This record gives sequence, C-alpha cells and structure tokens, in this order.
Amino acid sequence: MFGELKYILKYVTGKDLAGRHFATFPDDTFIVSFPRSGNTWTRFLIGNLVRPNEPITFLNVEKVIPDTSALSKRDLKRIPRPRIIKSHQFFDSRYKKVIYIVRDPRDVVLSYYNFQRKYGELEDKYPFDQYVPRFIAGDLPGLLGWGSWGDHVLSWLATRHNSSSFLLLRYEDMLAEPARELAKVARFLGTDSSPEALTLAVERSSAENMRKMEKTQSEGWVVTKGRRKDIPFVGTAKGGGWQSKLPESALEEIESAWGPLMKALGYDLMRNVSPALEPPFIQLEDWAARHTQPASETV
Amino acid sequence: MPLIGQLAYGVKHVLELDHPKHNLVVYPDDTFIVSFPKSGNTWTRFLIANLLQLEPRITFLDMERLVPSPDGQARRFFKAMPRPRIIKEHASFDPQYKNVIYIVRDPRDVIISGYNFLLKGEIIDESYPYMTFVDEFIRGIRSHVGSWGENVASWLATRANSPRFLLLRYEDMLSETAGELKKVADFLGLQVSDSHLSEAVTRSSADNMRKLEKMHGDNWAQNRHMKRKDIPFVRAAKAGGWRSTLPQPAVAAIESAWGPLMSKLGYELST
Repeated sequence: MFGELKYILKYVTGKDLAGRHFATFPDDTFIVSFPRSGNTWTRFLIGNLVRPNEPITFLNVEKVIPDTSALSKRDLKRIPRPRIIKSHQFFDSRYKKVIYIVRDPRDVVLSYYNFQRKYGELEDKYPFDQYVPRFIAGDLPGLLGWGSWGDHVLSWLATRHNSSSFLLLRYEDMLAEPARELAKVARFLGTDSSPEALTLAVERSSAENMRKMEKTQSEGWVVTKGRRKDIPFVGTAKGGGWQSKLPESALEEIESAWGPLMKALGYDLMRNVSPALEPPFIQLEDWAARHTQPASETV
Repeated sequence: MPLIGQLAYGVKHVLELDHPKHNLVVYPDDTFIVSFPKSGNTWTRFLIANLLQLEPRITFLDMERLVPSPDGQARRFFKAMPRPRIIKEHASFDPQYKNVIYIVRDPRDVIISGYNFLLKGEIIDESYPYMTFVDEFIRGIRSHVGSWGENVASWLATRANSPRFLLLRYEDMLSETAGELKKVADFLGLQVSDSHLSEAVTRSSADNMRKLEKMHGDNWAQNRHMKRKDIPFVRAAKAGGWRSTLPQPAVAAIESAWGPLMSKLGYELST
C-alpha cells in the first residue's frame, strides 16, 4: 500500500520514470539500441557534435541527450526541443526519427554479463554457460522489458529499415571509422559535418577520455552512482573480443539462434546455419546491399 | 492532464478501478489476441467466447468479460481473472506477450473499415479529403499501435517461427471458419467437440453479431464513447470489398507502401 501511494505521488508530480510511456514530440530524435551496444559512446559523439561549446561529460550528458530509463517524465518534459533522446526500447511506433545502433551479439553477451554483475542484477559468480541461454531467450533480470537481442533488432529493422527517418549504424563500423560514421549522423540530423567538427567530437568522445571521466565523475552520474567501481561502465570499447573470450558452446548457441539475422547485418559466422532458420517476412538483404556501398554514395 | 484529473486518477488507481491499458500486469501463461484495429479481432473474441461458454448465450458484455481488453475492464478485474487468461490487444510487438494469436487482414479492406470507424467516432466527416486520409493511414498518423505495416511486420519478424505464435488471416477465417477456429482451440488447449465448434461459428455470425450489437452495443465499452450511433460497429464482414469500393489511387498507394509484405501474406497485388 505504501509503495502504491508513493507511485501515485510520483505519477501526480511527474517524477515517475519515463520508461516506455512519456510524451513524445514529432521533432524528437531517438538514439536506440539493445543495452551494451555503444549507445553511451554514441551519445557522447552526438552531444559533442551538436554542442561543441562545452565538452560532454557524465555530469552533463543527461541534460543534452537524456536517458528514458534513468530520468523521469518531468525531467524529459523540461529538455528544450528538438530533443535527442536515448532509449533501449524495442520497436515503439511513436519514435518517428531513429538512429539505431547494432553490435555483434557475440560481443554484447560478454559485455552484458559484466554489466549485470556490476549492477548486482546477477550474482558475481553466476556461471557464464548458464547465462548464455537466458540471454538468448531474453529471460534475464533487467532484460525483462526489452526482449532478447534478436527481438530488439528485428522489431526495429522489420518496421523501419526502408524508412528515410531511420539510420542504422554498426558499432564495429563506428570503431573502425568513427568520423565517417558520425558524418552519416550529422547528415541525418542536418547539422555541421565539417571535418574539423567531426574530429573534435571524436577526440572528445574517445574511450580513453571517457574512462578518465568515469573515474572522477561516476558518483555524479545517475547511471553509475552508488554502483561497484571494480567493474567499469566503459567497457573494452573494442569489436571482436568474442574471438578469444567466448566459449565454443556459447558461440554455437548464439549463431544457431540468430545466424541469418547476424549474416544479414554483415557479421561473419563461424559455423553453418540451416536455411530453415531464415527469418521470414522481411528482406534484410536489401539493407545489406545498400550498406556495403561506399559512404560517399549513401545520402 | 490537469492536477485534479491526476488526483482523480490516483484515487481510482488505489481502488484498482482504472483501466490498466499499457500498464497491464502480464503473466507468462496469458494468451493475447492481437491484430491491427479493424482486422476481425472482435469477431475472433466472439468465436473464442463461444468456445468458452455456450449457455447463457454470449452477448457483447459477456465477450468483454471472457476475452477482455485492457482499455475495457478495470485493473481489479484483470487481477481477479482466473488464469490462464485470454486478452485482446492491438499493440505492436511486445516481448512480454508469450502466447499470441495474431490476426492479419488485407490492408486494402482494413482501410475501408478504418475510414468508417473514424466517421463513427466523428474524428473526421464525409467532407475530409479521401487521399489525405489514405496518406495518414499509410503513415500511421492516428494509430497508437503503428501503421498497418509496422504492426504486422513487428510481430511476424520476431515471432513467425515460434510455436507459441499462431497467425490467422481474416480472409481464411471467413472462408473456412470452423477449420480456423479449430486451430485456435488447439492453440488454447481447449477440448471442444465438432458440434460445439460449429455452434460457436453460427452464434458468431455477422447477422447474429449485428442483432447483439443492437441489444447491448451502446453499453459496450468500445462503443460507449462513439458519437455516431447510425454507423454500426459490426460492418460488412466480407473480404475483397476494396475491389469495388476503394479508389484506384488508394489501392496503388497501399500496394506501393507494403507490396512485399502483402505478397508474403498471400494478398495478390493489382498494380
């Protein structure tokens, strides 16, 4: 009962978590991804690009690119429009303009395992081989509302991959060519895409820089405040870590669950995948063909 | 929402008299009857309600009780419902829904029905430019559950291979009602005889539903806030009406927006 009253007070004053049901506007842009897919880095990159006068830190990022899973409805209402908003939600039709970041699930599983231990959502010694099937099924504490990695990616790609208001980025491409990928974002947002502006934003958002800031600012950021410090929020910031760290059995499980989707996204598989698993009803090949064109040809 | 409205909501919330809408507490053994609006969802609910109960005869109000909608019953009602529950929805993909019966209908017919629905609610009137309406329909402007294409694609891309997902085409339900209803009964794990099945089909006929709408329709949650009583909720209940009714530019616009998805679903393109 007390919990209910607290909820109602929060609801009446607008202090309840924004989550999936806050007021959206048609001029909002959303940075969306499954957790641990480079979303925070992208927020820093974009924040530094659109607000070059003041470097983005963990202390001001929530004011520049607010997080729907950390802030209240009221906080989000107070952000000046047009807003750029961070979200981990599966497909939401109210998000009209979306930058979607996808990352190789073989790396996501490793990063999310660490993250969940940092947040105490998982016992520290929870066996990784038991974690993998739960990760695939989307059956994890905290994951409950977001679906599995495959659900998340498919729900967005199937509905929006042909839309001009949808920009798909691969985390791995961002690591390899951050300025080139950020230039795509700049064109998508209709903002400054001069080489100087891009370089400055990339420098300010480097993993090294973000690690330094995390050390001094983690108690001032709503996401890391009061959390254990021995596992950092800024992870390896690399692609392909799975090649040395992911057990063979986990690799097999992940590739047989999502092989066709991974292939469509350009992630090379280590094993053969049965064609019977091809996800029906969407033609991701179209996207793959477009994506492999040189950056200068994509508008 | 003004403060007084929020406080009133707060009181309702404490008493669990508010409709749960998108805050429904979902259980893993729930089954959801999902579709884009105007795709045969109410008919399917009638059919299922008649599988669950033959006597006393199902009315609109019984149907709303046996296969309730999260905006048609109070939170308290959903909490007290015996499990496993069967619940109506129009939402696009939601990973919380573990068992889903998804009904899809040819969008060229959906749009005609959608137009009537907007007239019935006095959202637009007959003078509204038709092609503007068509463009808005395709972009999903007035929908809270995405456009037709988004709603359908979000479910099929994520769940089409799942044994806990049953895809029904409204058109197949019309032509082979008993056969399709048998699939539903099996999916729900209901043991029903062939005679019960065919009785459920008879009692859920469009004619019978029209009669029932006249009896209780005005008290039914779905119709209560609808302004125009001269336009019934239960309409033609036919497939392919678009061939004679839908203007050619509208057909072309829909087929160009969703052609590949329609073809996959077996809806032949005309352009």
